[in-house]
Amino acid sequence: MRIAVLLKQVPDLVEEFEIDDAGTDIDREFLTFLLNEFDNQALEEALLIKDATGATVDVVALDDPEVDQALYTAIAKGADRAIKLTGANGDGWLSTHARAAVYAGWLTGESYDLVLTGVQAADDLDGQLAPMLGALLDVPHVSVVVGVEAADGTARIRQEFAGGAISELDVSLPAVVGVQAAGAEPRYAAIAKIRQAQQEGNVDEVAVDPPAAASGLTIRRMYPPEKSDRAEMLSGSEADVADRIIALLRERGLVQG
Amino acid sequence: MIATLLAVEGETREVFEDINLFGKVVFYVLSFIATALFLWGSWQRITKYRRGRPAGRIRRPAAAPSSNGSAPTVADTVPSNGQPSKLHTVGTIAANSTVAKRDRSMGIAHFFIFWGFITLFIGTVILTIDEDIVKIATRQFGEERSFFKGVFYAIYSLVLDTMGFAALIALVYMAARRGLFHLPQLDYRRAEEPAGGYDRRQYQLGDQLFIGLLGLVLVTGFLHEGFRIRASGFPDFEIWSPVGWLIAKGVSGAGVTLAGSDTIRTVIWWVHAVLALSFVAYIPYSKAMHMLTDAANLVTHDPTTSRRLPAPDPAAGHLGYQTVEDFTWKELLDFDACTKCGRCHVVCPAAAAGAPLSPRDLILDLRQWASTSSGNVTLLDSERRPEPTGPLVTDGTLAGDVIRADTLWSCTTCMACVAACPVGIEHVPTIVELRRSLVEAGTMEPSLQDALQNIAQKGNSFGKSARQRAKWTKGLDFTITDARKEPVRYLWFVGDFASFDDRLQSLSQTFAQILHGAGVDFGILYDGERNAGNDVRRVGEEGLFEMLVEQNMEQLTAAEFDEIVTTDPHTLNTLRNEYPGFGLDKPVKHYTEVLADLIEAGELDVGALGSTATYHDPCYLARYNELTEAPRRVLRAIGCDVVEMPRNRDNTFCCGAGGGRIWMDDSGLTERPSENRIREAAELDVEMFVVACPKDFTMYTDAAKTTGHDASLRVVDVIELVAEALDRQPALGAAEI
Ligand code: SF4
Ligand code: SF4
Repeated sequence: MRIAVLLKQVPDLVEEFEIDDAGTDIDREFLTFLLNEFDNQALEEALLIKDATGATVDVVALDDPEVDQALYTAIAKGADRAIKLTGANGDGWLSTHARAAVYAGWLTGESYDLVLTGVQAADDLDGQLAPMLGALLDVPHVSVVVGVEAADGTARIRQEFAGGAISELDVSLPAVVGVQAAGAEPRYAAIAKIRQAQQEGNVDEVAVDPPAAASGLTIRRMYPPEKSDRAEMLSGSEADVADRIIALLRERGLVQG
Repeated sequence: MIATLLAVEGETREVFEDINLFGKVVFYVLSFIATALFLWGSWQRITKYRRGRPAGRIRRPAAAPSSNGSAPTVADTVPSNGQPSKLHTVGTIAANSTVAKRDRSMGIAHFFIFWGFITLFIGTVILTIDEDIVKIATRQFGEERSFFKGVFYAIYSLVLDTMGFAALIALVYMAARRGLFHLPQLDYRRAEEPAGGYDRRQYQLGDQLFIGLLGLVLVTGFLHEGFRIRASGFPDFEIWSPVGWLIAKGVSGAGVTLAGSDTIRTVIWWVHAVLALSFVAYIPYSKAMHMLTDAANLVTHDPTTSRRLPAPDPAAGHLGYQTVEDFTWKELLDFDACTKCGRCHVVCPAAAAGAPLSPRDLILDLRQWASTSSGNVTLLDSERRPEPTGPLVTDGTLAGDVIRADTLWSCTTCMACVAACPVGIEHVPTIVELRRSLVEAGTMEPSLQDALQNIAQKGNSFGKSARQRAKWTKGLDFTITDARKEPVRYLWFVGDFASFDDRLQSLSQTFAQILHGAGVDFGILYDGERNAGNDVRRVGEEGLFEMLVEQNMEQLTAAEFDEIVTTDPHTLNTLRNEYPGFGLDKPVKHYTEVLADLIEAGELDVGALGSTATYHDPCYLARYNELTEAPRRVLRAIGCDVVEMPRNRDNTFCCGAGGGRIWMDDSGLTERPSENRIREAAELDVEMFVVACPKDFTMYTDAAKTTGHDASLRVVDVIELVAEALDRQPALGAAEI
């Protein structure tokens, strides 16, 4: 069983964001980047499958900012191989369409049984990467997954629905899976191990072509949410304010009675 | 007196009186067997220590380098490097002062048993020299000679009788202490209850056997003496053996005849001899070995290993400890040195809080595990369990199976155990080594993992942007010098909590205003600073610690300053004791030292507050760095009446936040250490609970609330009090962030 986990770096959300001069992207110059937390879940799920079945786990990423850190951390956690696809990232942000195309181009030449990735990312909140990849590779795809049990040729997958319902699916392999949460809290990699991986430097760089496919979308304008003036400030004594809140909740039908 | 002494000239007793040749042969054979057993057992132990790696205890590492120029050097401010000379240590051992340190009566009792038996042992050696060397040697050259007679014999008898009797009384006290006093430190119940239960009755039996054997050796010795005196018809010189003399009087008073005494004496002689020889044979297999291991352990004890943790062994190929070979020989010796006195057990904040950790249990578990896996034979010195768990694990992980992970994570690294241990056991470095194994395996709770990841990625445990580190300075009406750009006298290493915690930022502002107001030349590293790594290292994340040191040292090396000041005792500890190993050569001061100096030099114009206060010593100041007086000097100077809590200075009680505990869940505790401490302070009639550590401020503010003492006891930092004592306080005008 061979598993590929796709990793992506996203801006650290604790930083203060600013819009760039063109007004169509965030200013990336002073941001710090971290591994997308859902990709981290996907990696953990892959490592759990490895622990259970002895599968091999390769991590694959584009040349995102500070991505080496994520790749070495994955090796420290037990990934067998780290592959960095270079030459695809332009200057700014790479759309999920383009990203999916680059991954698909490379994956076609490889033979993975399972491709895991995060169900979504800060810059892919609609979670398009996994479905697009499934389509491009012409293999089954499942998203919002909270558990993968892989066997020969098939995988039993647990998918989460709103309200906490879980469905269990059998999927024939190869397949693409968008992971919501791994079966365990992502493991910790000791810094000494990450640094050791860094010293050994085993990241395979593979040059790929820049993505041809465009999403057909252009960003016209990017801006911080505009403040609305619909907020009503409540003042008065505690009892008055409480009464007003209760009245409001009733008015809007948020509480009964 | 002299007359009586003179009268005894030439008087002596026969050593093997009444023991025939066959008896003598039997006795020597038994002695040989006892000695052989003693040597074999000791050799077994030594073989175990030899499995350990070097501990660097024979040759000391060189002292921290000192800087050139007129600035005070590290050597000036680091309070001794904590290394007592060997001679001093021998004095400590001889005086039993570590035993008496926190328990006078116990110290006195131990002193008499210690010296009583040493005296009796020397007495026996003298006898052997006279009997087996002097007499035999002189016989070869004609007339047999002996020095065991006359005045010498009289003094010998008196000394041995007195010391033996004192030891006997002390032993009775020891037995009563165990049997009647119900002392918490002698309660062998574990801090954590293993699933499947455990049985420590052997420990108690072992203690009873130990005290019993020693007592019987003494009692039979005295009885023999009494019957001998009675059998020889009360010769005058025997008055110099007063205990024996009295027994003899009693014996004859009870109507025992001369002949009867003679027979009884022979029997008792054999009983005494067999008991004494058994004792010798029993030493290396039992608690009695502490007589040897403790002396060795104290001589090789290095009191600085907690404050300056040893780096991992680069040759090990893995982090932390997995096998006996990973331990240093000193650590293996530590385990054998433990007397189960329980002093560490009763001072441990984790044990008191109901956490699954007791430093005593930890050491005893490691001892049993290391001894079993080294094939050491022990007598009544093991815990038994129905299931092979804990110390009985033979194949499993050391950190995780032998010692539970939650046990290791419970430690606050407060060092109370190390300070309390009378025999120089160093628990903290061992705990950290075992934690290193847990970190390598990734075994830790999510909140700790988050904190470490935050520190790795952003340099602070709060997960805030590294660039926001100096945001708190925005509320000041002046700009703090950027020490990366301009030389300063004091480099203020602010630390995570003082930089990022909402409740502590105003304290940081106040301190900045005080320094600024006093015209002190100081600066900070702004967003160049990272968590100093003290607690990261104590969590066992050595790789991250090294990374933080590299990042901080890069900034510190580029900056120009004379001294470092910090408000955080944890930061102070690592900067002062661990960073010199990475090239830092500047003195590191706590802010209370700077304030005390400023006030005493008249640079700060303080008025008297006239309040009553108690001061809580932070572990990392008082125990780790022997820094207890500066905060008290400040408090006195600003007119506070300081009332001490029962546990003060190096006997302080931990707030529970150290060693990374602040990043872990404490909801499972029965009583948080900080609440225990607030209750201790609430017993005193004081208005304020004064702290000198940012973490303490948050810990105790919370604890005062949860214990309901927040109305009567004000938790306050020294900084705030000094600000209040400065009449200029209104002019300072701290702005909100
Ligand atoms: S350092 Fe403190 S918490 Fe840790 S074992 Fe020792 S006494 Fe207990
Ligand atoms: S470790 Fe030290 S203080 Fe603790 S029980 Fe053993 S000898 Fe006593």
